[in-house]
Amino acid sequence: MPYKSSKQDLPNALTLEWALQVKNYKLTLDKQRCVGCQICCLACPKEAVSVEKQKTDEKVSKLKVDIDLAKCNFCGICDVTCPYGAIKVTVNGVHNLALIAKESYPKINRIITLDAKECPKDCSECEAACPLKLIKVSKIGFDGKPIKNINELSPTEKRRIKVNVDIQKDYCPTCKICEDRCPPKTLKVTKIFEGNITIDPDKCLSGCHYCVDVCPISGVMVVNVDGKVDIVKSYCTYCGACKIVCPVEEALTVRRVKVAHEHVRSGAWNRALERLTSKADEVKVLKAVASLKKRDIVIKRLRDEVNR
Amino acid sequence: MSDQEALEELRVGVFVCHCGLNIAGTVDVHAVAEYAKTLPDVVFVKENRYTCSDPGQEEIRKAIKQNNLNRIVIAACSPRMHEPTFRRTVAEAGLNSFLYEMANIREFSSWCHQNSPQEATERAKDAVNMAVAKVRLMQPLQTLEVPVTNKALIIGGGIAGISAALDLAEQNFKVYLLENSQSIGGYMAALDKTFPTLDCSICIEGPKMVDCARHPNITIFAHSDLVKVDGYVGNFKVKIRKNPRYVIAEKCTGCGECKDVCPIEYPNEWDLNLGTRKAISVPFDQAVPLVYAINRDYCIECYKCTEKCGERQAIDFDQKPEDVEIDVGAIIVSTGYDIYEPYDMPLLGYGKYPNVITSMEFERLILAAGPTGGKVIRQSDGQKPHKIAFILCVGSRDKNKYPYCSNYCCMYTLKHVVQLKEKYQQDVEVYVFYMDIRSSGKGYEEFYDRARERGVNFIRGRVSRIDEDLKNHNLIVHSEDSLLGNPIEIEADMVVLATASVPKKGSDDLARILNVSRGQDGFFMEAHPKLKPLDAPTDGIFYAGACVGLKDIPYSASQGSGAASRASAVISKSKWKIEPIISVIDKSKCKSCGKCVDKCPYSAIKHEKGNPAKIIAASCHGCGICVVECPFHAITQMHFTDAQIMAQIHAALQDKPEEKILAFLCNWCSYAGADLAGTSRCEYPASVRVIRVMCSGRVSKEFILEALRLGAGMVMIGACHLPYDCHYINGNHRMKARTDNLKSRLTELGMSPERFRVEYVSAAEGIHYAELIKEIDQQRKALGTQIKEETEKLKPELERMLKVKP
Repeated sequence: MPYKSSKQDLPNALTLEWALQVKNYKLTLDKQRCVGCQICCLACPKEAVSVEKQKTDEKVSKLKVDIDLAKCNFCGICDVTCPYGAIKVTVNGVHNLALIAKESYPKINRIITLDAKECPKDCSECEAACPLKLIKVSKIGFDGKPIKNINELSPTEKRRIKVNVDIQKDYCPTCKICEDRCPPKTLKVTKIFEGNITIDPDKCLSGCHYCVDVCPISGVMVVNVDGKVDIVKSYCTYCGACKIVCPVEEALTVRRVKVAHEHVRSGAWNRALERLTSKADEVKVLKAVASLKKRDIVIKRLRDEVNR
Repeated sequence: MSDQEALEELRVGVFVCHCGLNIAGTVDVHAVAEYAKTLPDVVFVKENRYTCSDPGQEEIRKAIKQNNLNRIVIAACSPRMHEPTFRRTVAEAGLNSFLYEMANIREFSSWCHQNSPQEATERAKDAVNMAVAKVRLMQPLQTLEVPVTNKALIIGGGIAGISAALDLAEQNFKVYLLENSQSIGGYMAALDKTFPTLDCSICIEGPKMVDCARHPNITIFAHSDLVKVDGYVGNFKVKIRKNPRYVIAEKCTGCGECKDVCPIEYPNEWDLNLGTRKAISVPFDQAVPLVYAINRDYCIECYKCTEKCGERQAIDFDQKPEDVEIDVGAIIVSTGYDIYEPYDMPLLGYGKYPNVITSMEFERLILAAGPTGGKVIRQSDGQKPHKIAFILCVGSRDKNKYPYCSNYCCMYTLKHVVQLKEKYQQDVEVYVFYMDIRSSGKGYEEFYDRARERGVNFIRGRVSRIDEDLKNHNLIVHSEDSLLGNPIEIEADMVVLATASVPKKGSDDLARILNVSRGQDGFFMEAHPKLKPLDAPTDGIFYAGACVGLKDIPYSASQGSGAASRASAVISKSKWKIEPIISVIDKSKCKSCGKCVDKCPYSAIKHEKGNPAKIIAASCHGCGICVVECPFHAITQMHFTDAQIMAQIHAALQDKPEEKILAFLCNWCSYAGADLAGTSRCEYPASVRVIRVMCSGRVSKEFILEALRLGAGMVMIGACHLPYDCHYINGNHRMKARTDNLKSRLTELGMSPERFRVEYVSAAEGIHYAELIKEIDQQRKALGTQIKEETEKLKPELERMLKVKP
């Protein structure tokens, strides 16, 4: 019997399934988390993922992602690569990808560090700042009970409060807004993608703010006085959702030059990297890194020489 | 024709066979014999009880010598049956074996007109007359000899192919074993146990598979396709495409380390997609050849396998398909069968309800090395079923699907129930819904008893419908207990469908490549169902196993050995004789136009501008298409010359032509179909007179016009079915192109269109042929005197077209 393969397109999710007698493969695309950025399309080794523009009358909305059941092999590369964690691949209900275990594809690093002990007791700036509502700050009193209103407490009690910051790392695209807003700078975030984003003000259409509409990180795209768009580069995740909806060619450029990942030796990863990043820029960065290393080596040697 | 031969006095001997009462019971054989004496040049007439028996043949030999006969007519059965026998007889008497003709008075007379003996006798007389008319114009022909390649190709590496390969290899012949999938072994390698002995299937087949791989005389082409077959018996040129595995076979040690590091899995077709296999893997552990393969449809090219393989360097992602050309003397086809998947029987719910599976899937479930480790579990919840219903004859013995019995489903279902009962004892309740239990075989009936003793419930009745309980995915089987006459309903945890076996997918392409025919059921057609069960109609090609008709393991294995023996009869010779029924070109008439070159289906004609065309005798299959296509009448088909066929037409229409149906039947399909009508004793009107041609493409316009000029009531051409059934590739297409124009021209001239018909009859359509003749005869009767009037009206125009002087 050809295994039962099925695809369901629900309003909130797209699911693909292979149901075999002994195994069940399932891919779920969470449509609410998906921003239509095309990263999965670029990463997919089987070219199974495609995006199509959704037609709405007035407002441009994010792109619709579709996965071809005939081409998908449930490898999980899209799952690993999606910066918003919108895709999950499970085997028999367990989310444990063989791809990562066998080092055929690297883990994408979302390095978010936080020492909650350093947190001011009455601060919840990060929770308020997170554009995707992934951070939850909770405060627990000495009796272990959560505290509702901090202002009612006495200073002694305030001192004994324990602050818990719960971050849903898997879904975090690492925009760094929280790091910026953190008053004591205890929260440190390393970006998944490094890159460049530029808008050509001559080409940008005044009054069109499609990119602003689709950008999931509020605060990256700002409409300025003449109706054109400015970018706050330091918050950009370089996902490229804006680039796809931009109606003018070459008005908006997004280039990724670096991906934070663990080290693996894998052909699949090399090809994915090639598609995800701009080659020319990447070469530039690598050269810069290499020359820095060279400089360090030379300095070290010279120092050794001098010391001797 | 040399002057000496032309001057030779013709002495025709006619032998009329009684065939016991087969002929004599209906046809008045004495009257036929007496009639034969009145025919020109007939000097000797003799009746035999059984002409084909030894004494019968001896009488022929004696008569030839004593009476100095130089042309022989044997009025007996179909030439498709005994023509070769009597050729030998005639040759033994010192006469050229092509100086004899058969008149078919059994299949074409006594057997099909049993209720009208008088008409049958008349038809027999005409048949003898036609044969005498033809034989008087026959010329001695010399048999050709071609060298033989002492190698064989076996297509399909199932148990039949493996048996054939080992037998041939043991006789010291070089054997190429071609297998489409990645491992040889066929379905047998996928089975758990075999009936009735319950021994492990792969344990008995595995060693044979390994023997094949190790044998110095056997070369296995696994994961390869057959692209092209050219040539003829003893000299086949075969092109094989080796599909890329992306693993170099010579370097792969089969260690399986690559499989362990591969992150990708996909449904394993070998497990019928119940389980998975890695993107780099072998289909099963005992695979032969043990060479891993990468499925590039699923591979993500992480190159972990390449890294693991390391210095062995067996993995090559740049591998391309490779074409190999081999020469062989004989080909054995053992392509096997496919399992029917009953998606188009919605009432049984297969594909819809997760707990309805086929028997083959059950086989993989109960197999210890299978995807579940031998545990029978339900797909819906992974639990063990406690009540299992088996349904027999799903698709088989069903007029809407496959009318034939699939032979082994009863037995393997009995095996399944015995296995279940012995494995789970009282923990499982088993029901079998059957129509009849067919257990004819050594130890099979005893095995049936064993199942009954184990307490299996057998219910005789056809299942009408299966419903699913949506809550627990249990199945409710609705049937009738035909022994008690009550409707019955059983709730089962799992339903196993014993589905029909069907012809292998791609059989039609293979039939075209090999130029062999298939029956109505889609299985290959043997040269003779009883006496040549292993031979294809094409010389040098043999069949083994289920590709001809469904059979179980012991039968398939013995057929493999049988086919090996048939093939060795060809490839053990150094020379092979070829029938001289070929076309020859009269150099003086050839205008070197080159038209015949394109028309020859076998590219047997070579032509250089300015020189007369040449026919390569060994490549010529003797269809006679070129004869008709030549605008200058420069080509002659030996044994079926224009003059001989014209003489037959004249003889057939000597008397009351308007009451006769003149039928030109091609030897391979429609003549065989007409034979079948006789063997099946289908009654039809005796007004038909048959002229045998090798191919319908041989029937020229002149034959039709001449028959109509002589006043034939009806004229018919019987051909193989369009588009692919023609034994000579495209003779029927050539004939159709020619006759379409002719028919409209004749209709314009005032002929009733129904008087000239082109019909397609396959060798399996005896009943269709009988119905057809009935219909044509009715049309003839309806036309009545109009036929004569039309003949008078058409005559001058026909004569002008034929360039005959009135």
